[in-house]
Amino acid sequence: MTERSQPNIAIVGGGPGGYAAAFLAADLGMNVTLIDREQNPGGVCLYRGCIPSKALLHVAKVIDECRHAKNWGIEFGEPRIDVARLRSFKEGVVNKLTSGLGQIAKARKVQYIRGDASFENSNTIRITKNGGGGESTTFDRIIIATGSRPAVIPTLKLDSPRMLDSTSALDINDVPGTLLVIGGGYIGLELGTVYAALGSKVSVVEMTGGLLPGADRDLVLPLHKRLEKMFDAILLNTVTAVKEEANGIRVCFDGKDVKEREKVFDKVLVSVGRKPNSQIAGLDRTQVRVGDRGFIQVNKHLQTDDPSIYAIGDVVGEPMLAHKASHEGRTAVEHIAGHKVAFEPNAIPAVVFTDPEIAWSGLTETQAEKEGREIKVAKFPWAASGRAVTLDRTEGLTKLILDPASERILGVGIVGSGAGELIAEGTLAIEMAALAKDVALTIHPHPTLSETVMQAAEVFFGTSTDLYRPRR
Amino acid sequence: MTEFKLPELGENIHQGDLVRLMIAPGASIAEGQAVMELETDKAVVEVPSSVSGTIKEVLVKQGEKIKVGQVIFTVENGAGGKRVEAKASSAPAAAPKSEPKPAAPKSEAPPKPAPSAAPKATASAPVVPSESNEVSEFKLPELGENIHQGDLVRLMISPGAQVSEGQPVMELETEKAVVEVPSSLSGIVKGVHVSQGDQIKVGQLIFTLEPGATSQTHSQQPSRAEESHDHARMAFQAAIQSEGKTEEQALPRDQPPTASVATFSMPLHLDRAAGVEHRGPVPAAPHVRRLARELGIDIHSIPGNGPGGRISEADVKLYAKSVIAGAASGAGSAATHLQQPALPDFSKWGKIERVSMRGVRRKTAEHMWEAWSSIPHVTQQDKADITELEQLRTKFAPKAAEAGGKMTVTAIALKVCASALKIFPQFNASIDMEKEEIVYKQFINIGVAVDTDRGLLVPVIRDVDKKNIVELAAELTGLSKKARDKKLSPADMEGGTFTITNLGGIGGTGFSPIVNYPEVAILGLSRSGMEPVWMNNKFEPRMVLPLSLSYDHRLIDGADAARFLRWIAEAFEQPFLLSVQG
Repeated sequence: MTERSQPNIAIVGGGPGGYAAAFLAADLGMNVTLIDREQNPGGVCLYRGCIPSKALLHVAKVIDECRHAKNWGIEFGEPRIDVARLRSFKEGVVNKLTSGLGQIAKARKVQYIRGDASFENSNTIRITKNGGGGESTTFDRIIIATGSRPAVIPTLKLDSPRMLDSTSALDINDVPGTLLVIGGGYIGLELGTVYAALGSKVSVVEMTGGLLPGADRDLVLPLHKRLEKMFDAILLNTVTAVKEEANGIRVCFDGKDVKEREKVFDKVLVSVGRKPNSQIAGLDRTQVRVGDRGFIQVNKHLQTDDPSIYAIGDVVGEPMLAHKASHEGRTAVEHIAGHKVAFEPNAIPAVVFTDPEIAWSGLTETQAEKEGREIKVAKFPWAASGRAVTLDRTEGLTKLILDPASERILGVGIVGSGAGELIAEGTLAIEMAALAKDVALTIHPHPTLSETVMQAAEVFFGTSTDLYRPRR
Repeated sequence: MTEFKLPELGENIHQGDLVRLMIAPGASIAEGQAVMELETDKAVVEVPSSVSGTIKEVLVKQGEKIKVGQVIFTVENGAGGKRVEAKASSAPAAAPKSEPKPAAPKSEAPPKPAPSAAPKATASAPVVPSESNEVSEFKLPELGENIHQGDLVRLMISPGAQVSEGQPVMELETEKAVVEVPSSLSGIVKGVHVSQGDQIKVGQLIFTLEPGATSQTHSQQPSRAEESHDHARMAFQAAIQSEGKTEEQALPRDQPPTASVATFSMPLHLDRAAGVEHRGPVPAAPHVRRLARELGIDIHSIPGNGPGGRISEADVKLYAKSVIAGAASGAGSAATHLQQPALPDFSKWGKIERVSMRGVRRKTAEHMWEAWSSIPHVTQQDKADITELEQLRTKFAPKAAEAGGKMTVTAIALKVCASALKIFPQFNASIDMEKEEIVYKQFINIGVAVDTDRGLLVPVIRDVDKKNIVELAAELTGLSKKARDKKLSPADMEGGTFTITNLGGIGGTGFSPIVNYPEVAILGLSRSGMEPVWMNNKFEPRMVLPLSLSYDHRLIDGADAARFLRWIAEAFEQPFLLSVQG
C-alpha cells in the first residue's frame, strides 16, 4: 500500500471563505495555492464590504453621539469633515488587515497568485496572471470561493459618476447634498447611515412592505423610528426610471402612496442585493452544476457534482455572509482531508450594523410562523435595562424564541446599541441546546446590556427582576 | 407574478421524481390543469395547478427530484383563487373512496390561534364584549393606567379572515411592554384600518366586520383561506395515499380531485443555507454532532438523556455501542443501521454518471436490504421431470386461452405450491421475533415476481388453493398485464404468504432468490430443457425444470426444505397427484 500523500489544492477567490480554507489546509499540511485578483487576500469583505463600511459606521456613530451629547449638557458644535482624511483612515484600516493576511499566507507557505482562474477540466485550472502570462496547473482538489457582486437592475442602469453601488459608495469621493438609496436591505441602510452622518440628505426607497425584508418586524421598528429622524424620507414604493440631468439624477417613483412622482438627487446608490459569481470560464468543462439564481450546487460537504471540486461562500447560496463562508471553507477543507464532516450549523448569526444595530440568530418569529411551528417568545424591552438607561438608548429589545415543550432556545433576536456583539451569546446558547433555565441561571455582569439576555430568559418564567408582569 | 410550488403530498411524502412535464413557458395554464406526473414511493400522481395565467418560466426538468414547497413554475398576469371556495368544498366529494387521513394540519395551523391561552398582555384590561350583535367595529380598548397609545408592531389579521373573541389581532408596543391585543368580537374581517408601524390611540378604530356575520362565534375555526387549504390538502392526500386504488385511479385524468388554491402556503425553509437538509436543529452541541457524524450515526435518531432532550457525548457513544452490539433492539429499524462505508472516488478511474434512484428501484433496494440483513438464507436446489406435464399443458392451453389466460409453467406452479403449502404449513408462516412467536396463516396468497420497465413488482394472487389452474392462469395473465401497464394498486401487491419467481423465460440453470420478507420461503424456476434421464435402465430424453427454493433457516430446517421441494418436484412429475392431494 502506498503512503497517502498530502493533496495539492487550489482555492479560487481570496475572501473570508477562501483564505480561511487556505490557511486551514496549510495547517493540515496540504500544498495550497490561493488565487485572487487583489494584492492580498481579503476579498470583498476586507476591500469593499464589511471592514471599510464598519470603519465608516464607527465614525458615523461618533458624529451622531456628539450631536446627541447636547441632551447631556455637552456641546461640540457642528463637525468639520475632512473627507480626504476620513478616506485615508478607512484605507489604512483595509491595508492593515489585508497586508496582515498577506503575511500570514506567506508564513503558512500558501502560494498566493494574483490573477484570474479558468477551468480546463475538473482538476486543471489556467491562471491568467494580473501582470500578463499564464500557466496551467493540475490539482487534486479545487475549492471555488468566488463570492458575489452587487446585483444590477437593468432599468436602473446608468453610466454616470452620480450612480453608486456599494463599492463606489465606500470610496467616499464626496459628500453629496442629496442621496437616494435604492433598496432598504442592510447594505443600503448601513451606507445610508454613513452618508446621513456626514451631512447628506438621505432618502431610502424599498419596494417590499418594509425595511430589512425577512427580519422580524418588532426588531426593525426601533431602527425604523430612528432612521425616520435621521433620513429625509423612507419611501416604500418602487423606482421606475432614472435619468441623468445637468444637476443630478432624476428618479421616477411608482407605487400606492407616492407623494412625489419625480425627484432629482445629487447621487443615487443602488443596493438591491448581491449576485453569485458563478460564471467562471471553463466551468462547463467540469461536472459542476449551477442552479437557478446562479448558485453553484453543493452537498452538505460543500462538494459540487464534480467530486474534485468544492464550492463555498456566497457563490453557493444564502445567507451571503462572511462568517458563513469561513465556516464552510473550513468544513470543505476538513472533508478534503478525509474527515467525516458536514456544514450543518444550528444557527448562523446575522447583524445589521446600523444604529441601533439589529442582530438575530437561529429561528426567527417570521420563519416559525411560515413553518407553522409552535414557539414561545420571551421579550425584554431595554427600557427596563439600567445600562441602556445610562447610555440614553432605551429603544432596544432582546427576545428569545423558545420551544414550548422543552423550553430550549431556538432563536435569539436583538435590536439596540451593540446588538451585534450580544448575539454571540445567543448563538452559543442555540448551538449548545441551552434551555431558558440555563441562561437564566448564568450570572451576567451588571450593569451591562448582556443582562438583557438573562432577563429575557427570566421573562419566560415570569420572574424577571427588572420587569414586572402581572401573573397570567 | 405568481409562483406555483409543489403542494404537500401527504404524510411522510416529501419528494417525488418528475416523470413527465406537461407544461412549457408561454403556454397558458388553468386551475386544475395537470402540470406534471410525479413518481413517489407510493404511486405516480398527476399534480394539478392551483393558479391560472401564462407560464413565464418553468424551473424544473424531467427526471429531477422535487421537494414539497419547491417552485415549479411562475405565471404572468396570473389569476387564481376566485373559484377557490367552490372547488375546495367540492374536492373532498370528488376524492376517491379511501378516507383521507385527516393529518393534523400542523403546517397550516394558524400561527397563534389558541384563544383559550389568555393573551399575555399585561394590560388586557376590560375588553367589554359587545352587548348586541349589531356592533361590528373593533376599537383599541383601554390598555391600562396611563397608557394611551402604542405602536403597532405586528398585525395578525387581514380582510376576509375569520376572527373570534379572545383571538389576538395585533401586537402593540407601549412604553411599558409589548402586548397582544385580543379581539372582543367574532366574525369575518371586512376592513382593517391600521397598518404595521402606526401609532394607535385608545379608542381608535382597528377593524370592521362583515355585516351580519358577527353573531356566529366559530370560536376556534381557522380562517377561511386556511380552511380551504385544509380541504385541498386532504383531498390531495386522499388521492395520493391511494390505498386500494390503482395509480391511474388515484388521480383520474378528467377529474383531478385536488382543489385549486391560489396560494399554497407550504412550509418553506427559505433562510436555510445551501446543502443543509432541513430537519430542525438537533439539541446537541456542535462537537457532539460531529462525533455522531464521524461514527456514521444519524444524530436525529439518538435519544438525548439531558434536559430538554439534549444529546451528550456519552449518549452518542452509548448509542453507537448498542448499534454495534446489535442490541439496539427491534425498535429502531432502518434508521439505526450503521451507514455503509464511504464509496471510493470512482471518477479517478474514468467518467461516471450519477442517476437518482427512482421510486420502485429505491423501494426494492430498501426491501431487499431488509430481507437480506434479517433473514438467514439457505437455497435448496432440485429438478422436476415435467415431460408429462408439458403434454398436459399443451392439451389444456386452449381451455386456458378460452378463459383469457395463458397456461404457463408459473400458473401450474401456483397450484402446485398451494397444495404443498397446505401440507407444509411452516412455509406459509412468518416469524415474530419480538414476541417469539410463529404466525401461521390459514390462507394461501402467492406473489408472482413480474419484470416491468420500472423494475420488479410482485402482484399477489389470493386464495390460490381455492382456484383451479385455468382460473389461476387467467388471473395471472391479467395481473401481469396490469403490472406492465402501471395499473397495479398497492393492495394488489399486499398480503402474500409465499412467492414464485420464474426466470425460465430468460434462461439459466439455477439461482438463489431472496425471500420476500416477511414471508419465509420463495420458489425460483429456471429454464426447463431436455436432459438425459436414467430411467428404465437407460437414458431417456426428458424435459427437466430446475427448481430453487430459498428459505428462512430460523423457521425452516434443511430437511423440511428438502422434503418440501421434493414434494413440489413430484407434484410436477405426477400432475394427477394434484387432483388427489390438492
